[in-house]
Parts: sequence; structure tokens; C-alpha cells
Amino acid sequence: MIWTGLLARAIQMSTPLMIGSLAEVYAERTGMMIIAIEGIFLLGAWGGFVGAYLSGSMFLGLLLAMAVGVMAGSVYGFFTIKLKQHQIVTGTAINIFAAGLALYLYRVFFGVPLLPLTVEPLAPLSIPVLCDIPLIGQALFNQNILTYIAFLIMPAGYWVLFKTPLGLTLRSTGENPEAVDSAGINVEKVRFLTVLFASAMDGLAGAFYSIGFLGLYTNDIIGGRGWIAFAICFLGNWNPMGALLGALVFGLADAASIVIQTSGFRLIPNEFLIAIPYILTIVATIARKQFNVPAVLGVPYVKERK
Amino acid sequence: MAQKDKQTPVDSYLGEKIKSREGSFYMFLWPVFSVLLGLAASGMMMLLLGHNPFLVFLKLFSFAFRDMYNVADIFAKAAPLILTGLAFGFAFRATLFNIGGQGQFYMGCVAAVFCALKLYFLPSFFLLLVCLSASMLAGGAWGAFVGYTKARFNASEFLISMMSTYVALAIMNYMLRGPLKEIKGEYPQTDVIAQNAWIPTLVPHTRLHWGFVLALGIALVAYFVLWKTSLGFKIRAVGMNRNAARYAGIDEKRVFIVVFLISGAFAGLAGFMEVNGIQHMLVQGFNPMIGAEGIGIAILGNAHPLGIVLSAILFGALKVGGNLVVQTSTIPSSIIGIMEGFVMLFVILSYFLQDKITTRRSKKELRSKEKGGVSR
Repeated sequence: MIWTGLLARAIQMSTPLMIGSLAEVYAERTGMMIIAIEGIFLLGAWGGFVGAYLSGSMFLGLLLAMAVGVMAGSVYGFFTIKLKQHQIVTGTAINIFAAGLALYLYRVFFGVPLLPLTVEPLAPLSIPVLCDIPLIGQALFNQNILTYIAFLIMPAGYWVLFKTPLGLTLRSTGENPEAVDSAGINVEKVRFLTVLFASAMDGLAGAFYSIGFLGLYTNDIIGGRGWIAFAICFLGNWNPMGALLGALVFGLADAASIVIQTSGFRLIPNEFLIAIPYILTIVATIARKQFNVPAVLGVPYVKERK
Repeated sequence: MAQKDKQTPVDSYLGEKIKSREGSFYMFLWPVFSVLLGLAASGMMMLLLGHNPFLVFLKLFSFAFRDMYNVADIFAKAAPLILTGLAFGFAFRATLFNIGGQGQFYMGCVAAVFCALKLYFLPSFFLLLVCLSASMLAGGAWGAFVGYTKARFNASEFLISMMSTYVALAIMNYMLRGPLKEIKGEYPQTDVIAQNAWIPTLVPHTRLHWGFVLALGIALVAYFVLWKTSLGFKIRAVGMNRNAARYAGIDEKRVFIVVFLISGAFAGLAGFMEVNGIQHMLVQGFNPMIGAEGIGIAILGNAHPLGIVLSAILFGALKVGGNLVVQTSTIPSSIIGIMEGFVMLFVILSYFLQDKITTRRSKKELRSKEKGGVSR
């Protein structure tokens, strides 16, 4: 019984990590690290909650989350692509800004409520027949819509990236932008559109925490999980299928820490259970030997640099 | 190890940029403009809550400079910020990204409060010395681990330092709930440390303590190390161009570890200042933004120790005035984060403009040389 619960929770917790790490894989394949990922997750969580709370519609909540993500992504893209500023510096600035902004705008919209405001989280959709499979049925086929979407976009993302001309363009932009440029494709445009797509996905991933899972918004709701999605992109070797595997492992770690905490099992202090995903990231980063880093990751494209 | 530890092109690109911004006459003007624009933009945000930004800023600065106590508080707040600013800025000079200053700060806090609580019987001077060294050692070790994984496994220091912050947070929270919890056992916090572990005050009847002077000294040391020693030369060489540094025979791996050791020690020392200088105890959820603010300060100060000191004092003033404005009006404290974020974004914008002006000027020089027939 506890295993079914654990498995279901693991699949659930890996959902935003899948969406976020796929977004990161796409962006990094074109040479853009989305360092602002943590901030965009947070803004997405905020946007999802505000949209769902004010309109009463989950769909509008998710839409607002993606819109907010795109807005943050366009600021990030403007600074890093158009102005060619450093990605880590800009991303860090946006993360600090987002933390202040989300809290501030929450106050603007809702004042200081006596009780935390809540919405009913996205309801699970059980798939008939399949959800009755013992052990894995409930875990795989009784989740909310975002989880199904996540499981669909990972293989689709792999297919687009490696089997289509679009994917070839994206990958070439991160490996040899000069060649892409001389083929008559606008490098900056490819990067900018990819960043906007990725930030919309990041916003969606963030919204999972607020309206897909908890049904409320707090300012520490993301608590570093954006960074974990960022790390999964590295660990998955910039491949959507690797990212899928990574997201599942980290989802399991996240779920284990939640399940053990609530089960009253007191061998390891709580604090260290919460730290499991972060420790795992460090260990996995160290253990990973061969990296397939996109050649110009983090480098702005400058035509005819002298 | 047969790994390829190639330098990504971005590293040398960044090194060139930091260098080109230095030594110009307008070096100080740019940050001032950025700060003003950042404050103006956050003023627009205040309109959303129906506040007049001019009145708010008037209030903020009149609060910050109202009396001796508040002015002294600006410098008391600036002391740890100088150190977390240096923690990022020092590593940035080697084009290394130490974004784990927060975690190193927490480790420093835990070490300082641990020594202060357990060795309370020591004479004041020795106790302070022990706390100081322990905090630097703890922060330094936490940082050096990041440098070690970079040197040994070619791991991304950005990622590892970020993640290690969350582990440090877990350790601190565990200590506060377990071994170091107050005797009353009510809240996750320590008891107040003995008076002989308090850093003596610099100006009587204020919170300004000798730690500020120490922070200034550390900034001077950082300057001296970076520009007057062979270690500093190596650090800057690695920062400017990692390949060239390697061909020149510099052991970049040792530089990674040493830089992170020093950076971490700076952030750890900030923990000592907050615990022994201001709070005199350790509380859960304590100063959660000091690492991020250090990054902002280092960026605003172009990773130069003098720039960092000035920026830290500015941030200190914003904090003191901002906190009082928040307490006496309905403006939420998150406005301080928004101000810092806007200031950072405008600083980055100013980087763009500066680089553009530099490029245009050098192009012009090139063209006039060609016209004069000096060119080959």
C-alpha cells in the first residue's frame, strides 16, 4: 500500500521536473542557459494561482502562468540575446527580482488575508480500465492532466529535436551558429523564440506546484526545484529521454522525502530528508563523467566579431 | 584524469568585459545612474499599492539618516553585505560563479554560535578569536568543497554551489531543532550567547560594532591579494583567459580550490558578524537573502573591493530606511527585493551601454589611424 502511494507521489512530483527540464534542454541546445528558471517557476506558480483564483478556471490559471513565464522570458531574452549580456548574471538578477515581485503582486491582488487563500487543485483524471492495473495503475493512470501532458511531450520533444529539420536547426544553433547564420537562418530569432517557448513551459511547470498540487501559493513554494530541473538537463546529457529518466529519479527522491516525513518514521531528521534531492544533484553532477555540452552554451552570438 | 577541461568561450568573453570597464573616468557615474533608474522603476511599483513614490523615498532616506542610531545601523548592516559581496566578487575575478554565499554564510553562523555557546567561559578576546576562525573555517571548507569538485570532477561550480546552499540550510535547521536548541525548548533558535562573545560596539548606544572595521580590512586584504600578490595574478589570469593561463604554467585547479576557499571564508565571516555582532543568537529562517544581495552588490561594484564596499553601504541604507518605511506604512517588505532586482537589471543595462561606447570609441580610433596612413 505504501509503495503504491510512494509511486503515485513520485510520478506526480516528477511532472514539473519533466516539463522544466525539457524546456531547459531545448533552450540549452540552442546555446541559451535559462538561469532565470527558478524565478520563472516562481512566477508561474504565482500566475497559475492568481489566474485560477480570480477566474475560477484552471485553464485560465495555466494560461496566465504561461503568459507570465513568457513575459519573464522575454526580459531574459532581451538582455542576453539582444544586448548580449552574461546569462548567469542576468538570470540571477531576474531570480532576485521575481522573488520580490511575486510576493509584492500577491499583496497587491489580495492584501493580507487572514487565512491562506486556496483553490481546489487540478483533479486527477483516472483512465478507465488502465487505472485498475495493480501496483502501477493508480500511479500512472490516475493523475492530473499536466502529468499526462508531461509524459506525452517528453518523447515528442525527443522526436522533434532529433528527427525533424526544426530540431536540426535548434541543435546547430548551439553547436555552430555561424553555419546556421550562413544558411540564411537568423540565429538570434531562433534563440529568442526557443527561450520564449521554454519560459512558457517553465511557467506551466511552476503552476503545477501551486494549482496542480497544493492549491495555494506561498513564496517558498518552489524552494530550489527550478534548479533541480536545471540540473536534470545537465545530468540527462541534453537529451529529452535522459531528462525524463532524471526527472523520474528526482521525483522519487522528492516523494520519498514527503512520504517518510508524513509516515512518522523518525530514523533520519526531517531536515535531511528535505535535502535529499539537493544532495542527489551534487552526487550525480560529480559522478557524471562525459558531458555532451553544446559548443557555444552561454555565448552570445556576435556577427563578425573583431 | 583524462577528462577534457576545456574553457567554454563564455569565460574568456566575460573576462575581457570586466577588464574593459575598468579605469574609465565614468566608472563611478554608471552605477549611480543605474541605482537612480532602479529606484525610479520600483517607485512605479509603489503606485500599484496607491503610494506616492516621492513621499516613500523621502521617508526612506529621512528615516535612514534620522539620527545617529540609524546612520550607525547602515554601517552595521553593510558589514556582512561587504563580505557576501566579496564572496561572489572575489570568485568572479577568476570567472568562477560562487552563488552559494548563502550556504557558506549559514555554515559560518552555525560554527560561530556553536563556539560561542560551548566555550562561553573563555576570556572575551580569545572567545571572539575562536568564533571568528571557526566561522571562516566552516564557510571556507563549505566553499572549498565546491572548488574541489570543480577541480577534480570538472563539475559546474554554479550548480554545486547552488545545491550546497540547500544542504547547509538543512544542517542549520537541524542544529536549531536539535543539538543547539534553546534550553526553554520552545522555538527553533539558540539561547542568547554570553556577553563576552559579543563583538564590542564601535559607537556607543548603537548596533555598529568593530566588525565593520574588520570588513573594511578584509576588503583591503582582498584588493591586496588580487592586485599585489602572485596568487592574485594567477586568479586574474585564470579569469581573463583560462587557456592562456594554463599555457603560462598556472595550475588552474589549485586556483579553483583556493578561490573558493577564500570566497567561502568571506561568507562564513559574515555569519560571525551577524551572530556575534548583531543578533547574539541564531534563529531559524535568518537573513535568507544575504547571499543574493551579495551577488547584487558585487555586480553593482563591478567585482572590485572598493566598489563592493560602496555598494554594500548603499544597500545597507536601503535596508535600514526600507525596513522603517515598511514598519510605519502598508508597503510590504518585498519592495526591498524589487528595488534590488531593478537596480541589478539597470546595472546590466549600463554594462551594455558601456561596452557599446567602448567599441565605438576604439573603432573610431582605428579609423582615424587608417586615415592618417599609420596603418600597415
